[in-house]
Amino acid sequence: MFDKHTFVNYNRSMISQEKLTILTNGAKYDVSCSSSGSSRKNRGGIGNGAVAGCCHSFTPDGRCVSLLKILLSNDCIFHCKYCLNQANADVPRATATPDEICELVIDFYKRNYIEGLFLSSAVHISPNHTMEQLLLTVRKLRLEYGFHGYIHVKGIPNADQTIVRETALYADRMSYNIELPSEQSLKLLAPQKSKESLLIPMKRLARETQLFREERKEHFLPAGQTTQMIVGASPESDGQILRLSQSLYRSNGLRRVYYSAYVPVVHNSFLPDTPGGALREHRLYQADWLLRFYGFNVEEIVPEGENLAAEYDPKCAWALRNMHLFPIEINRAPLEMLLRVPGIGAKSAYKITEARRFTALTFEHLKKMRVVLKRARHFITANGKFYGTDNETAVRGFLAANETAKNATQLNIFTDFEMEQREAQFALYSNAETALSALTGEL
Amino acid sequence: MIYIYDGTRDGFLTVFPTAYTDREALLISTQRQLILGQQTVTVQTDRECATRVKKRLLSFDVKCIQDLEIILRCSDPLRDDVAFRYIKLIAQKKRPVREMLGEDAVMTAKDDLCKVKHELERFRGFVRFMESASGALYAPISPDHDISDLIALHFRARLPNFPFVIHDVTRKKAAVYDGINLFQAPLENAEIVLSAQEQAWQNLWKNYFEHVNIIPRERLKQQRAYLPVRYRKFMPEFES
Repeated sequence: MFDKHTFVNYNRSMISQEKLTILTNGAKYDVSCSSSGSSRKNRGGIGNGAVAGCCHSFTPDGRCVSLLKILLSNDCIFHCKYCLNQANADVPRATATPDEICELVIDFYKRNYIEGLFLSSAVHISPNHTMEQLLLTVRKLRLEYGFHGYIHVKGIPNADQTIVRETALYADRMSYNIELPSEQSLKLLAPQKSKESLLIPMKRLARETQLFREERKEHFLPAGQTTQMIVGASPESDGQILRLSQSLYRSNGLRRVYYSAYVPVVHNSFLPDTPGGALREHRLYQADWLLRFYGFNVEEIVPEGENLAAEYDPKCAWALRNMHLFPIEINRAPLEMLLRVPGIGAKSAYKITEARRFTALTFEHLKKMRVVLKRARHFITANGKFYGTDNETAVRGFLAANETAKNATQLNIFTDFEMEQREAQFALYSNAETALSALTGEL
Repeated sequence: MIYIYDGTRDGFLTVFPTAYTDREALLISTQRQLILGQQTVTVQTDRECATRVKKRLLSFDVKCIQDLEIILRCSDPLRDDVAFRYIKLIAQKKRPVREMLGEDAVMTAKDDLCKVKHELERFRGFVRFMESASGALYAPISPDHDISDLIALHFRARLPNFPFVIHDVTRKKAAVYDGINLFQAPLENAEIVLSAQEQAWQNLWKNYFEHVNIIPRERLKQQRAYLPVRYRKFMPEFES
């Protein structure tokens, strides 16, 4: 009844509590935890992939626990100034063996604690050595332990491409973290990383994936690649960050860009002492969704050197700049236009296009269908009727009032004064604009 | 007229043709309390009749029986009526109606469907297995809706080599997988002898859960929204 895969290697060493604590603490600032995009089948071992992903628990910071996020080692030779585990930091160090990680994954997985593994590592001994250890671990997990669940592996900058490529054969997703959205900031804060060390392997993997797909071979990164950027540790504007994201989506075929508001864990004169606000992170995600699912161009969302408005979400801000396009009639407007109405998301837009085939929709219908009308009513007519406010200033007031109430405590981080101060601090080191074009120029 | 049936899919399909022609039909399954002074008819399940009705309904909408089964699992006290009005609309229109969101019957049915499906999705993640001394896995759950056998399907595909029991403690029944077959059984209390390493793994998990949290970014309200307190009963990470 039992497959030999499942119980082989039993009674090997269980990872110690101390080691797990150290390696978890080192990995927790990585934002990515999604387990979607892979439909790996169970082939006589343990586990399978859930295409839509699956959340197993939620920590008190509101984030989901989907994958076991862990470092193979936190013993780093790099000197990234923002990082907790940089070479000369005085922190306890630990390195896990591949077997300890594999066993932890299998035992957590079968108890349904986790959906898979997110394996990352500090650069231990050398980039190639680290990448080899990562490869060893995932290969072991797949072949010896018969694990068919989700695996996300972090790419190590400057590691040999052949090792990276082999790792990708066993992983569902790989990611190189860009961390800082311009080359200048990268030079300043992560001197051993360069844009080449991050973007070139990303491009190569994208090309390989393409080849595999054309030849219809087995799995090669079925869930694609992602990356992460720290927001608020360096002076780049939202406009620049989003332009970089758009080019990554369009030219490198990335599945997702994660934004992580800077949390000051290390004190350094190059780094701000204030955290990058949660609201800014939220706005960036909203804009990111507009780029990927709502057919927006970054040029429509925010000019290059500017930040997103704190008082409205980016779609509201766009609609307020384009009031001449509204109101639209929901019974006739094309899907692309419905998606651009503030408050109407992909789900509501789909519901409307389906339901209007059978009857002329009124506001009553929309309410029953649970389409949120708080913002949308100012921008639509239903069967010729308009229930919003005509006056543009009043609309602005309504929308801002809703948002301010929601974000009352967060908004004060974003007072102009503080932003100016922070910009002044960084003006010395970096010309953000040229740095960005250097980074994105060849994309 | 009030029609009382046993709350099963076949029971529903047996009573459906009679109720369909009755303008004031109200369906109740036996689990609900009766109302005094109203005329009632108790309908015995008739497999043959149910199969006939099923075939006819499937010719209008291939997914309607699936929808019906899910609605009947909902804990909504009006689920029988919701299902009846939804299936009746399908029979009247002689076509799938799930996209006619302007119709009341469709919206209420959709609500119940969503409730059950959403909980099913959540429980794929929220079930917590314990390893027994024999190597079999045991998970107690107390979901709002009757979904234990549907969750079991997910775990059979995922852990085909592990026999497991998913025990719905509120409904006192269990979905059991013995490594080959999946079946349902009534189960009141289960006494489990845990494996030697179980506690150690649970402690590692609690440790992981505690340290993966970023303390300065506390958002308890969001945590509660995603993982309501009632679901935490059997999760080791929330044991104090």
